[in-house]
Amino acid sequence: MIWVFAIVMGVAVAAGTYLALSRDLFRMVVGLSVIGAALNLLLFAAGRLDSTAPPIIRAGEQVLAHAANPLPQALALTAIVIGFALLCFSLVLVVRLMRATGTDDARALRAAEPPSGEGVKPPLEDI
Amino acid sequence: MIGPAVAATGELAPATPSARRLLGYAALPLTLFAALVAALASVPLPWSVHAAWVPSLGVDLAFHVDGLAAQMLLLICGVGSLVFIYAAGYLAGTPRGGRALLLLSLFLLAMIGAVSADNLLLLFVFWELTSVLSFLLVGFSHEQEKSRKSAQQALLVTGGGGLFLLAGFLLLGDLANTWSIRELIAAAPHLVDEPLLPLALGLVFVGTFTKSAQFPFHFWLPNAMAAPTPVSAYLHSATMVKLGIYLLARLDPAFGQLLLWDVVLVAVGSITALWGALHTLRERDLKRILAWSTVASLGTLTMLVGLPNPAAALAVASFLFAHALYKAPLFFVVGNLDHGAGTRSIDHLTGMRRYMPWTAAAAALAALSMAGLPLSFGFVAKDVITAAKAEAELVALAGHAAVIVGAVSVAVAAVASLHVFWGRDNASRDAHPHEAPWTMLLPPLALALLGLLFGIMPATVDPLLAQAAQAMAPELGAVTVEASYDAAPVLTALALTLLFGGAIYAFWDGLHRTLERASWLDAYGPAAWYQRKLQALSHIAAWHTRLLQHGLLDRYLLTVLAVVTAVALLALFLSAGRWQWPAAQGVSLPLAAAGAIAVAGALATLRARDRFVLLLASGLVGYGCAALFLFAGAPDLAFTQFAVETVFVVVAAAVLPEIRGRRAAAPALPPPARIEPLKLLVAVAFGTTLSLFLLRAAGLPFDTALSEFFGANSVPVAHGHNVVNVIIVDFRALDTLGEIAVVAFALLAASPLFKLARVGRGGTP
Amino acid sequence: MTPRALMFEVAMRALYPLLLAASLWLLLRGHNAPGGGFVGGLVAVSASAAYAIAFGARRARLRMPLGPPALAAAGVLMALASGLPAALLGLPFLTHLWTTLPLGVVDLPLSTVMLFDLGVYCCVWAAVGGYCLELLGAQEHNT
Repeated sequence: MIWVFAIVMGVAVAAGTYLALSRDLFRMVVGLSVIGAALNLLLFAAGRLDSTAPPIIRAGEQVLAHAANPLPQALALTAIVIGFALLCFSLVLVVRLMRATGTDDARALRAAEPPSGEGVKPPLEDI
Repeated sequence: MIGPAVAATGELAPATPSARRLLGYAALPLTLFAALVAALASVPLPWSVHAAWVPSLGVDLAFHVDGLAAQMLLLICGVGSLVFIYAAGYLAGTPRGGRALLLLSLFLLAMIGAVSADNLLLLFVFWELTSVLSFLLVGFSHEQEKSRKSAQQALLVTGGGGLFLLAGFLLLGDLANTWSIRELIAAAPHLVDEPLLPLALGLVFVGTFTKSAQFPFHFWLPNAMAAPTPVSAYLHSATMVKLGIYLLARLDPAFGQLLLWDVVLVAVGSITALWGALHTLRERDLKRILAWSTVASLGTLTMLVGLPNPAAALAVASFLFAHALYKAPLFFVVGNLDHGAGTRSIDHLTGMRRYMPWTAAAAALAALSMAGLPLSFGFVAKDVITAAKAEAELVALAGHAAVIVGAVSVAVAAVASLHVFWGRDNASRDAHPHEAPWTMLLPPLALALLGLLFGIMPATVDPLLAQAAQAMAPELGAVTVEASYDAAPVLTALALTLLFGGAIYAFWDGLHRTLERASWLDAYGPAAWYQRKLQALSHIAAWHTRLLQHGLLDRYLLTVLAVVTAVALLALFLSAGRWQWPAAQGVSLPLAAAGAIAVAGALATLRARDRFVLLLASGLVGYGCAALFLFAGAPDLAFTQFAVETVFVVVAAAVLPEIRGRRAAAPALPPPARIEPLKLLVAVAFGTTLSLFLLRAAGLPFDTALSEFFGANSVPVAHGHNVVNVIIVDFRALDTLGEIAVVAFALLAASPLFKLARVGRGGTP
Repeated sequence: MTPRALMFEVAMRALYPLLLAASLWLLLRGHNAPGGGFVGGLVAVSASAAYAIAFGARRARLRMPLGPPALAAAGVLMALASGLPAALLGLPFLTHLWTTLPLGVVDLPLSTVMLFDLGVYCCVWAAVGGYCLELLGAQEHNT
């Protein structure tokens, strides 16, 4: 079972990373979403996959029988929601950015770092 | 109302203090000087103070004053007192004059610390303090570009050298297993065979040579003449530049017997002396003439420290003393000329004695000593130096250097006194010259008269110099400093230098013109080298900034990811020996199908040309992951993932039309279907690395204590059957509280963005 | 005028309360079966998003009990408040307490855990929903 998780996670992370490296801002956001989903798999699988029974105690019982590890599930669950909030934030940011600059090309966003080419003035001359 | 007004005038015109107010600062060195003289008269040397400071590092507040340190202290406080008085007159009416005197006071204290410290690291701290204060004082007139550059140069050279010194100290301390200078000297005989000793000494050499302006680090000193004259007289002639000589003299008893020590010091000292003498003749600015002759004198001192015979120690002590007694007053004289006649160029200064008789008298007295004429202390010093050299087996270079430097000193003395003050007044000047106030006349006269007094009665300073010499050369017995007017070699040497010096003075202008034309000296000297290196530094900075800060967002991300992947892979490889692949088991059909859906979605995102298709493909990945959760026993995760993915696809799809609309106006991107190999490579490497990490982790032992605790206590303690939910809302409720607070704050933080978006809506098409 | 699918609007009028009810049901059963504040909140977000697609983000926002920032803040405050009783009793903060409220025929079980989970639900609904409505609203104003 760990192999399925490892392979799916690896492929999804690779695809998501490739999308996130794109110059196209929308593809970047979609890449973030794919990476997020894949990393939740990683988080869950890191807690070992010994059982496929949900960690829910049956009615009338006091102690959890052999079941999937509940702890990474709790962590991954909050991670999914927080990751989604982050994703929405990025999407808002991208839409706002496109509206302000009129482009969705990451390379066109150069207000802070104008293209090089102008010679750099040496700071010190002869005394 | 008053506050802003005061602040405004303070902005426009900085406080211009009167001489009377500035004189108050002189109380510090005068008090210290009086205390020092009283202590020297009553308490026998050496004095020691010791207190722990950073015991764990072996850095103690350890001070030890022996003859050598006492001599330096006398110079620092004695010359310091006169410099402070002079500065009060010189800086009166100068904006921020008080600040210069405050910095001088700090410098005074730092120098006292540096020469009395017995701990290498403590010495280093004071040493660097003097460098920093020198930077501030050289750059005192910071509105002038020249001052700023000179200050920067002084700091880079002496501060950079200080770092070498620190490295040398650390090595020495490590070799000797002590930070105490006295213990280091005691341990030195055992260090002779250490293979690292030459390296340690080399580092110390760089530190001392930069500080004491030895070739090839000398060039900062003449440039430091941009400082106010009292600063030049104090830091760059009498005290700070002597600190390097002092340290060499301090370590001389430890390493003086090493051939390396003697050869390096004699060679570097001689070359510096010659180089300084040569450049002295190339200048027309009297202050720079004095600066170059100071370089030559410092070279002579270094050479004397390098001479292995004990008599040289006495020569060092005498010359150190004599130099301060004649060079400082000459600097004061230049300051007076600058002040009274408005120029420092010897072309415009002749016959000044008519206007500035007292300054002329001081110049004549100091010049007497500098030229080494009989009855001056300079003669005594020269006498001792000649004796020391006669004893040592000198290489030809050192011998010739000494003669040439002596001759040039005579010539400089003649220029500073005869040329400037005597002869006909036929030069054109803008201002009418006038005499300086008493504050600027007392210091040069007092110092020059002292030089004469000690020359006539050497016995007055004899005990002090002898003790200083004994600190450098413990094997030196009882010695006396006295002028031996009868010794033939001394008189021969005197005659020789006077003859040469007179010739140089007579042909000064001709020599100057010849040397002026020797522009190769400028093109290939160390100063040019420094300039080129400094420019290269800024070019390298510009080049690597262009290389790394290219402003391409995707490239930044690519670089970061590539580095992270490389580091992670390295860690994996280093632990490769202990790998254990997990067994491939427990794969159910639904699980495999869910995985296949996710993989198919991931691959489809790479090939998707249309953004909507891309979005759907990414949704497929999310649904596949959700299904994986479901079949692996995590229904909570599955539901959450389903909900998230659905909402994301729907919302993003709703935004798409607008992005499409923008896209028409935007410059065309390369078609996304074309795979970029480098990015794909890094992405695949990153994904593979994470997979390998997961598989590696699966093979490691696992601690289930926490999960078992949650499973056992969920129902009895928390009254909940869904353990995941119980963990979220009960066992780890504080975490969850923090997380929802973050989510809520993110919304608040983003709301300005929303508002901007609404504002921008109407304006842009 | 923006043309909208009539059927969708009609369906949405009925679906919205149903979806919210489902989300509440997920919230309440969360302690003993799959569900809980996070999942419930997300289902509520999907309800709001669907409503916004049918009737516009502004009306969807009005259908929420409070404006998104206020609701998110209220959620965090509810979660905070659920820890206070324990703190007042001298127990560690966020130690949950249980009681039952007798209502004649049935006993209603009450606990601070429910308040906490309700806070999570509100916060997720408001914060994530706030983003989604903003995105949907931005699109709708431009067409």
